[in-house]
Amino acid sequence: MVPRLTMHLQFLATRNGLRNLTLTSSHRSLFAGIRISIDEEFAAKSLFHSCEVMLVERLPSGVFADPFELQHIQDRGVYGEVAVFGDTNLELPSFLSNRTLVEVHMFFSPDGLLEQKHGLEIKVEVPLHACYQPLDGSGYSAVQFGEPDVFARCRMEKRSSNQSHLFVLTSNGAISYKNPTVWKIPSGVETHAGFVSIVTFLSASLSALVIIVASVFHSNIKLHENVKIS
Amino acid sequence: MVTVDMRPLLLFSAFLRVFLIVYGEWQDKHMEVRYTDVDYFVFSDAADLMASGKSPYERTTYRYSPLLALLLLPNTFLHRSWGKFLFSASDLLVGVFIYTILKKCSVPKNICTYCVMAWLLNPFTFTIGTRGNCEPVVCAIILWIIICLMNGNLLQAAVWYGLVVHFRIYPIIYAPTLVLVLNHHFLRLGQKPVLRIWSSGPSKKPEYSTAATKLNVLVAIKCIFSAERIVFGVISAAVFFFCTGISFYLYKWEFLHEALLYHLTRTDPRHNFSIYFYHIYLHYEREFSVVEKLISFLPQFMVQLVLVLRFAPDLPFCLFVQTVAFVAFNKVITAQYFVWFFCLLPLILPWSNINFKWKGLCCIFLWMGAQTHWLMWGYLLEFKGKNVFVELWMASLVFLAANTCVLVVMISNHTYSPLFQLLKQNSSEQGLKQE
Repeated sequence: MVPRLTMHLQFLATRNGLRNLTLTSSHRSLFAGIRISIDEEFAAKSLFHSCEVMLVERLPSGVFADPFELQHIQDRGVYGEVAVFGDTNLELPSFLSNRTLVEVHMFFSPDGLLEQKHGLEIKVEVPLHACYQPLDGSGYSAVQFGEPDVFARCRMEKRSSNQSHLFVLTSNGAISYKNPTVWKIPSGVETHAGFVSIVTFLSASLSALVIIVASVFHSNIKLHENVKIS
Repeated sequence: MVTVDMRPLLLFSAFLRVFLIVYGEWQDKHMEVRYTDVDYFVFSDAADLMASGKSPYERTTYRYSPLLALLLLPNTFLHRSWGKFLFSASDLLVGVFIYTILKKCSVPKNICTYCVMAWLLNPFTFTIGTRGNCEPVVCAIILWIIICLMNGNLLQAAVWYGLVVHFRIYPIIYAPTLVLVLNHHFLRLGQKPVLRIWSSGPSKKPEYSTAATKLNVLVAIKCIFSAERIVFGVISAAVFFFCTGISFYLYKWEFLHEALLYHLTRTDPRHNFSIYFYHIYLHYEREFSVVEKLISFLPQFMVQLVLVLRFAPDLPFCLFVQTVAFVAFNKVITAQYFVWFFCLLPLILPWSNINFKWKGLCCIFLWMGAQTHWLMWGYLLEFKGKNVFVELWMASLVFLAANTCVLVVMISNHTYSPLFQLLKQNSSEQGLKQE
């Protein structure tokens, strides 16, 4: 029987709040820093020999994570395991694509956790890309990120045992209520539609006409006199 | 003019490509931004899946023939760079084919070599193959088809044409040109054709020139169902349907949709060089009507029709202008499409009256300047997150204008020179004519 054990979660504060989006482009990284600590009873029992923290980002509609890019990051040993669930058709605009979910696993040792006075700090950065947004009169579409779900799973010491225990870690809405992270993504403006269509077709027609006239009325057609049998 | 030999040029080009492939491997491992094209990973993953007995279409965004995955199977059991070496070798082969085609037309050796340099030392082309893009394979096949026709090997040309259309759908636009060129009076089964000869002096307008030009069109219309055309059409169609049929048998509707139908119906709302991208994005939430689709296809269709009817006998030039126009008026334009006409450009340079200084340089700067202008707005949209959709769309209009300008200059300064000349009539035909 496993005694009651508790892990604590705290989101790390950065200059830009508890969450952060790096860069200012269609390709950004979502940063989440967490601190995990354990109570004394957990430390005393020392029942677990390995643990992993699982951070689950539920991405809002309008952004996606490239599974192959994340695989590349995993191959470089940045994270333990990474997976993307949901829509992987990266070319569709957001109004035709579904939401995605990114799961990042990072392994740590309970002993290592004990050695940290203030708990174990884990920083996760997930590269994201913006889809084409629904048309908006303002020219920008605001995409808001919620709080990630954080779990920890620890495996028992006895090798013959496959038993592991899952801890659901919560921060009582620290992110959603205090510092919502918003990404403003450029979007098309609906009022442009008529003008753009007309000018596009007129330009294509004019270019085609110029090429046709140049070809048909090209008067400088000369033929070479010399021939050769190959 | 400095004389450059073909052999040292090829050796240097090969060394450059090997160096870039090795450097690319290093950059991929040690830097955040990869040298290798993302498409190469798609091809390699598809080859891995095929090697393990699965469908290559289980790899998302693999939209090519299974033949490509088959070609890259050694990526799985030899080395992951096998494909890059294959594409770079095709790239070098294109250089050899350019030289061969020009030599057959008696273009002087130094001019041939300079034309080959326009391909081998073009930064677009040597980065395309070394980054793992498969376009050099297609370019090599198209040039080989021209060589087969110049040698009178109609059957071989037909087989390769059917194969290349299966591999990459765009060469289907060359079908009308090839049909017109396969004129019984210029190309016959089992007979070597009479080729044009390059001349450095000012070419006179022979008395028969106008008659010959009219003859080409009139004869083409009258002899539309010649034996050569029927044989070429049947064999190339058979090869195309055979390859497509085998692929469909193995991979079913997934193959048909991803490798063929996707390319025929592709409309990408994301920003690209095409003038249509913003129009497509603004209307993406609703389906385009049949009338709208026809209207957007009309400029492309008309340009292709006129270019083919006007220039078909001058085969390399016709293929070149067709490809430039096809890319310029396409609904999606990405940088790799430029390679499609870069491989044909060296074939027409010896017949162009454009002086490198300054008309040639102006054309180059105009085209590259328009591209750079577009890239600047694309950078602001994609990497700075600014809403510059209108500016970017206008930059694509400028790019279309630049393409049109360069194309018109090339047409106006080209010395029209049919690749094949009239064959001598045999006695039975002469007898019939006298009757």
